[in-house]
Parts: sequence; C-alpha cells; structure tokens
Amino acid sequence: MSVMTEKFSTVERVLLGLKDTGYIATMQIAHTLYLAFHLGKPILVEGPAGVGKTELSKATSSFMGVPLIRLQCYEGLDESKALYEWKYGKQLLYTQLLKDKLNRIIEGETSLAESIDKLHQYDDIFFSPQFLEPRPLLKALQEKDGAVLLVDEVDKSDDEFEAFLLEILSDFQVSIPEIGTIEATSQPFVFLTSNSTRELGEALRRRCLHLYISFPDQALEREIVRTRVPGISEKLTSQLVSFIHQVRKLDIKKLPSVSETIDWAKTLVLLHAEKLDRELVKNTLNTFLKAQEDIRVTEEKLHTLTEHALREAP
Amino acid sequence: MDRILENFITTLRRSGVRVSVAETMDALRAAELSGYGVRQLLKDFLSASLAKSLPEKEMFESCFRHFFSIDDTFEEDFPAEHDATPPAVQGAAFLTQAFLAGDGGGLTIAFNEAAGRADIGSIQSPTQKGLYTQRIFQELGMDTLNRDIRRLTEEGGQEALAQARFLEIMRDTLIERVRNRIQRQLDLYARQRVDELSEGYMRNMHLSSLDTRDLMRIHVIVQKMVKQLKDRYSRKQKAARRGRLDFKKTLRRSVTYSGLPFDIHWKSKKMDRPDIVAICDVSRSVSNVVRFFLLVVYSLNEVISRIRSFTFCSNLVEVSHLFETYPLQEALAMLKSGAGLPILMNRTDYGSSLCDFMDQYADSLSKSTTVIILGDARNNYWNPRTEVLRSISERCRRLIWLNPETPSLWGSGDSDMKAYLPYCTTARECSTLRHLEKVVEYLLRST
Repeated sequence: MSVMTEKFSTVERVLLGLKDTGYIATMQIAHTLYLAFHLGKPILVEGPAGVGKTELSKATSSFMGVPLIRLQCYEGLDESKALYEWKYGKQLLYTQLLKDKLNRIIEGETSLAESIDKLHQYDDIFFSPQFLEPRPLLKALQEKDGAVLLVDEVDKSDDEFEAFLLEILSDFQVSIPEIGTIEATSQPFVFLTSNSTRELGEALRRRCLHLYISFPDQALEREIVRTRVPGISEKLTSQLVSFIHQVRKLDIKKLPSVSETIDWAKTLVLLHAEKLDRELVKNTLNTFLKAQEDIRVTEEKLHTLTEHALREAP
Repeated sequence: MDRILENFITTLRRSGVRVSVAETMDALRAAELSGYGVRQLLKDFLSASLAKSLPEKEMFESCFRHFFSIDDTFEEDFPAEHDATPPAVQGAAFLTQAFLAGDGGGLTIAFNEAAGRADIGSIQSPTQKGLYTQRIFQELGMDTLNRDIRRLTEEGGQEALAQARFLEIMRDTLIERVRNRIQRQLDLYARQRVDELSEGYMRNMHLSSLDTRDLMRIHVIVQKMVKQLKDRYSRKQKAARRGRLDFKKTLRRSVTYSGLPFDIHWKSKKMDRPDIVAICDVSRSVSNVVRFFLLVVYSLNEVISRIRSFTFCSNLVEVSHLFETYPLQEALAMLKSGAGLPILMNRTDYGSSLCDFMDQYADSLSKSTTVIILGDARNNYWNPRTEVLRSISERCRRLIWLNPETPSLWGSGDSDMKAYLPYCTTARECSTLRHLEKVVEYLLRST
C-alpha cells in the first residue's frame, strides 16, 4: 500500500491528519476529502469569505506531504498565464547569439533551398522544453510525486477559461502543439474555490465534487482558536467565540472570518486579557471588523453583546 | 444498478436538482465506498457528488431527510410491554387485527404497499391531496376498520369499549400518517413541475399583470438574457487583452542593443467596449410596467460596466449611482416613487426630457453607444421635439425604442410614437419576457 493510500485509508485518519497540520475540519470536510481521493475528482469548495477555503488546500498539501501549487484567477486570465508560455526573449536572444553558428552550418550550401533544407534539420530546437515556461497548471501536472493544485477564486475568471479548465480537469493532460501531449505523471489533488461572484457553469460543477463550508459552530470554532492560539485561557476562548457568533448575526457588510477570530484571540493574548470587558472589546474591534460602518453598528450594541457573551461563558 | 440510489436520484431530479449520468456514476461509487450503515457518511458522500450549489444542497438536504426518513414505521407506536390482546371480533379487518395484536412491522409493510398501489408517486398538485388520501384509505381497508369499531361500540361491555377506544386512537394516528406521507410526496416530487409550468407561463404573461412576488423570478430570467449579452463582449475583450508578439517593433527596438532583442513588444487589438445609455419613462401612464423596465435596466447595470441610466417624467435625472449602491428591491422602490431624486412626477414630457438629456449628458454619446429608450411615448400633447431625438440618433450608433403598447396603438391619442419612429434604428413592442428575449437576440445579432 502506498503512503498516500495509507494516509487516506479511513475518514478518521484524514480528520486527524488535518488536525496535525493545525486545520480543524468538520466531519463533512473529512468525508469529502476522503471521497475525492478515492474517486480521483477535483473538489469545488464554496462558502462565505473567510471560512478557510484556501486554508483547507494548504492543510491538505502539508498533510499529503506534496507541494501546493496555486493559481489565482482573475478576469482576463488565459492559457499563457495559467498553462505555459514560450520564452520569447530567450528564443530571440539565442537566435542572435547563435548567428555565427548558423552561418557556419549553411556555409557549404550553394542554393537558398539547400540552406533552408539544412536549417530544417534543426528547427525544433527553439521550441523544446528548454524554452518552455511552465505556469501553475503545467507545473502541477509535471510534479513527480503529485501535488495539490489550488485554483483559487475560479469565479473571477471568464467563461472561456472555465471551459479550458474542464479539459485539464477531466483528462489531466495538455497538448502543446510544438512538443506533444504532456500527461500527468501523478494526478494532482485539485481544489477549486469560489465566492459566487458569478454563477459557475454547469459543466464545471458536474466534473467536481462539491463542498460547501459555512461558518463553524461555536464548539468547532473554540477548538480552532485553541489549536491556533496556544496559551489562551478556556474562559476567554468561550467568551470571544460567543461574541464573534453574535456579531455574525448582526446586519453588517463583512462578517468576521475565522482567521479574524484567530487574529483577535492573538491580540487579546498579547494584551494579557483574562476575560472580555466592554472597554477591551471596543479598543480591539478593528481586528475583526474592517469597515467603519460595521464598527459603528457593533459599537452601538456593544453593551448587550458583551453582556451576552459573559453570560454564556461566565 | 442500486435500486435505492436509483430511486433517490429520480427523487432529486424531480425536485429540481440537475443530476447527470456521470454524477450518478460518482454517486454509485461513493455509495459503494460508504455503504448504507452510517447515515452521516452516506449523506456527505452523496451530497458531495450530487448537489453542486447551495440551493441544490438545500434541496438535497430536504430530499435526503424525506427519502431516508423513518417516520412511516409503526413499530414505535406499540410499546414493548403492550399486551397483545387477541382479536375480539371474528372476521375482523386486517387493520383491526394488526392494531390489536401490536403488529408494527406488518403495519409498516402494509402501509408502504398501499401507498405504492395508490400510485402516490404521480401526484402533481396540492388539489389532488384528497383524492390520494382516499385511495390509500381504500387500499388499507379503512372502511372495514370503521365497521369493526362501530360493532365493538354497539356490543358494549368494558373490554370491547376499551378496544374500540384504542382502535379509534390508532385510526387517527394512521390518518395523520397518510396525510403526512402525501404531503411529503408532494414536497418531493411535485414542486418542480409547478415551477416549470409557471416559468413558461410567465414568459408569455403581460408584464403589467406580473406580481411583486414574481419579481425575483423574473429577475433571474432577465439576468440569464443579459448574461448572454455580456458573454459576447467578454470574448472580444479577452482576444484584445491577449495580444501577440509585435515582431516589427521588437526588431526596431533591438537596434539599440546591437541587434539583440532585449526589449519585447506586444501587439494588442483595440477593443469595442459595450456602451449603453438606458433612458426609462417612470410616469403614471406606464406605471404598471415600469417596475419591469427598471428591472431590465438594473440587470444591465449589474453586468455591463459602461452603462449610464436615466429616468424621466416631467424632467430627466441620472440614476446610475442608485443601481450601484442599493439592492434591487430598494432601488426599484426609490426609482418608482422618485424619492430623494430631483425628479418632477408631474405629467410626462418627452420633449423636455430629451432636451434635458441633450443639454446635460450629450457627452455620454459616442459613435459606439447604444441608446435604449423604454417608454410609451404618451406625451400629453406637449411638443414632441422630434429634432432632439434626431440629434441623439445622429450622435449614437443606434437607438432602440421599447414600447409596452402594441404597434396598432402607436400614434393613437396622445402617443407621439409615430413622430419618433423615423429616428429609431428599431422600435419594438416590449410587454412580455418573450418580447424582451427577442430584443436581446437582436442586440446579440448586431454586435
């Protein structure tokens, strides 16, 4: 049994493996990873911003012990940025530098046709792998021991790129006209993340397993904080998680993400806080609220929110 | 193929989750991996391979709950210590016997079989609930149960009366179960059919009769159309951005470096940006379709970056900023009432509104602009000022007029449509979604 199959032999192993890397996963996440590995399918991860979609792929890569290759999508992204590109500069430079050499090769020939024939014997050298600049997708295919490929925010790319991605995701091979088909030596583990700025195509969804991550419940978030911020007291953890959960229920523009909860916890630990109080919260609100409007809304309700958090975790 | 899974997938499809053959294969392999032992494992596996978006996830949740539900068993109705009283009546009905004997398993089987025989899978609308309930009762032999209860009551005696009361309670439970089952069946299977029906219907319905609660649905349909338009442009944009190696320029630059091409140049195509000016009438004469007009403009705003929107009644104001800052419902309400806008909601004046446009916003027109005017051209006998429309028409690429009235009414009464007609690149009736689809098609064809 290979190392990788061993790592994915049971759902519990996946769960513990992720935990070792510092990522506390829900059962659902572990189930989906397990299934994706055994079916050899990409996972499309959706969910609100800041629930740890990107983090999941990082954790998976360190759990599997393979490199993480990341492709950040944006409008206008195309093959030359995502797959490969020729090193035009190098090609041109080499033709110039090798001018003398080329002259010598065709020296003996008398007619133009013969010279060209002679040159034809060498023509492919400028379109060989040495002149190929691999971009993330090609890199992921070329990794010998497999890789975790993260196609981040795929909803930001255009429809055409999405269609192009389909081809790679279904066959794990690309064809470069000048060189031929390059096949994955070992199939990469693919994550696609989306924030739903645009509806993704049906075809892409069909090719992937789908995982929806929502904000963690209080128990899970407490565990996350405990793992990420060692040295935080139990009482403070419960209070701050309860506070954050209440803030998420407010009508604000940007809900505090899990990573912001962690930031806040770190801040409070640095300030040697033992428990929440109104003044402390007020002074540190900006660690997890990033819009002035949101801060204003929260400050108005600060008293009730803090009281509630203290009541829930005395 | 796995029977249970097959049925489950059919159920999913009927409730509106689109499941392809490939996904079915995935689900099969997933079910093989998980087995049917652990509910949560099976659910997560199937959810990952079958439901591919948040709305679908929600539908999946409810389907899964209903499909693999355990509500239909009767085992729990009979506590273990229930003393199995032998049937007191000779020739008693099956139900009577099963109830009195506490045969939960037998009841469960009989119930499911009866539901199957009554063919409740084909229930289509809530109005059929009564019919299917009766059918199941019939299959179960409810009338004989009633007969037995009556007989026991008539017979009198303490034991018989107790049995009769017990049977009555059980009968009520059974009726409740049947009702629930049918409701669930309806939730599972029929919802999508109703949706399908109403979408087709909505496309042909006159816009003035559309309800506020349909608004979000129409919004989705309109968005679909507008997206097609946008895709068309984005393809062009992309081709322009990619660029090619500009060989000539690179060679020319390389002269500086004694022929070595250090400085590489890229050629890019100039691109044609979508550029739309939408002008929308919000006066009382079009009040019943104005919401729809604004919806169209709003949807255009969401996908096209270079668009300016205006509304007018007695005068004209720019409203592009409203679309950007407020969500759909709010923006529509504000525009319709004109709250917070310097708009005069007196009688419609096309002439002076067009003048306003030319005076203040003429700079938004260029040779690549498409101007879309939405309105009925009912001008209250003011001066139509056709020469202003003419100069707008001359300065833009094309001018499209969408009128909610049928062409036969154009020019009748205070309508100035006939006078404006010569300056429009095209003028169309636009009163149903079907019409709007045609307009979008037209826009696509000619870009």
